[in-house]
Amino acid sequence: MTDVVISEAQVLDALRSVMDPDLHRDIVSLGFVRNLSIDRGAIAFDVNLTTPACPVKDRLREQSRDAVLAIPGATDVRVNMTAEVRRPPTPSAQALQNVRNIIAVGSGKGGVGKSTVAANLAASLAKSGARVGLLDADIYGPSIPIMMQSGRPAEPQPNNSIEPGEAHGVRLMSMGYLSPGDQPLIWRGPMAHKALQQSLLSVNWGELDYLIVDLPPGTGDVHLTLVQTVPVTGAVIVSTPQDVGLQISMKTLRMFQQTKVPLLGIIENMSYYVCPHCGGRDDIFGHGGAGDAAASLSVPFLGEIPLDKAIRRFADEGTPVVIAAPDSPSGRAMSEIAGKVAQQVSIRAFRHLTLSIVEE
Amino acid sequence: MPALAPDQTTPVELRKKGTERFTVRWADDHESVFPSRYLRGRCPCAGCVSETSGQRLVFEEHVNPDVGIVSARTVGNYALHFDWSDGHTTGIYSFDYLRRICPCAKCAGAASAS
Repeated sequence: MTDVVISEAQVLDALRSVMDPDLHRDIVSLGFVRNLSIDRGAIAFDVNLTTPACPVKDRLREQSRDAVLAIPGATDVRVNMTAEVRRPPTPSAQALQNVRNIIAVGSGKGGVGKSTVAANLAASLAKSGARVGLLDADIYGPSIPIMMQSGRPAEPQPNNSIEPGEAHGVRLMSMGYLSPGDQPLIWRGPMAHKALQQSLLSVNWGELDYLIVDLPPGTGDVHLTLVQTVPVTGAVIVSTPQDVGLQISMKTLRMFQQTKVPLLGIIENMSYYVCPHCGGRDDIFGHGGAGDAAASLSVPFLGEIPLDKAIRRFADEGTPVVIAAPDSPSGRAMSEIAGKVAQQVSIRAFRHLTLSIVEE
Repeated sequence: MPALAPDQTTPVELRKKGTERFTVRWADDHESVFPSRYLRGRCPCAGCVSETSGQRLVFEEHVNPDVGIVSARTVGNYALHFDWSDGHTTGIYSFDYLRRICPCAKCAGAASAS
């Protein structure tokens, strides 16, 4: 066989036909292609995505391989999929230097499953290989310690830093740890403000790709402190399909808009119920309300989660359903949503502008 | 008050010149140059604007003519905070508010016409 020499330029030209469906650009101009090596017909390279939870990872791998295999003389193509979560450059860089993205999970009212969604989101992103932290900022009903079955973290170090707990690969801190035992946190605004700042800034989070913040319901002191203390990458709203729940969710959504926190999308929880006996489906709270609201507000709809006893049971036992039963319909719904959240964050990270105050 | 377009309230460049002025360039390419005293005299905090009536209590003419910016920082994604040389620190100036008080001849003209 006569030797055909394949050049680097040929390979890159071929890969220019592979488009990232979210960023609407080819993977070469996005700088995703790394470590290209060519040894006669054997070609190997990395495709470095913006999140390990990328929902189109397999499609991009296949398209990349097929594109390069089409080059005359290419016999063996090895595509190694890697990921590096990009940090969206934001106006303020002082707080949480090593945390790339802060995702707030909010809701209009309580009891819509916001903490359950936050715990599953965190566990699912961690499972995909990302470095994830989860801050339970719900001062009224801190429930993450139960859902993630994690004990109290160690006492503050002499330098006032707090080591986070860890469960299911997620680093954890809960405002619930700040009160002893089963005592409630009875705080006026300034106390809540100080406690959240301490939880955000004094916890030794280390390097994180995503910090998920589980907010209290509604719009209060904790929300205001969060959006004023750190540059929040984006917010996710959890709502039931019910109209009344949705209308209140809109208030939380508007608060994020007013403080220029990008909305990553809306999740419909308790979307429908499948009877374990007959398999019949019942839309207890109505269905599709959150999807309609998302469409009318031009906000991404991130998916629907069924009302499922397994989600509740696994949460009470301290293991999120994405870990306990990843292949159940609920487990799959949760991980799909986590993938979509990561996707939206990646889109923001590319669209944002760098901004800091410069002295002239 | 007419609503502002996102481009009009999204900053793309923030510049401070010593203690004397602060400049914001916006996504629509407009530039707002705020002299220190002008900005200090339009502080939106609850001490400078009455919380109940919305009436302004502290005006530019009440502020020391030599007032300067000691330091400036961004607040989350949506606002700026200043430490002033007269010791005042409580104002949070949202980007929406800053665009509405742009002192340039064109914006100031539009504001007084409306």
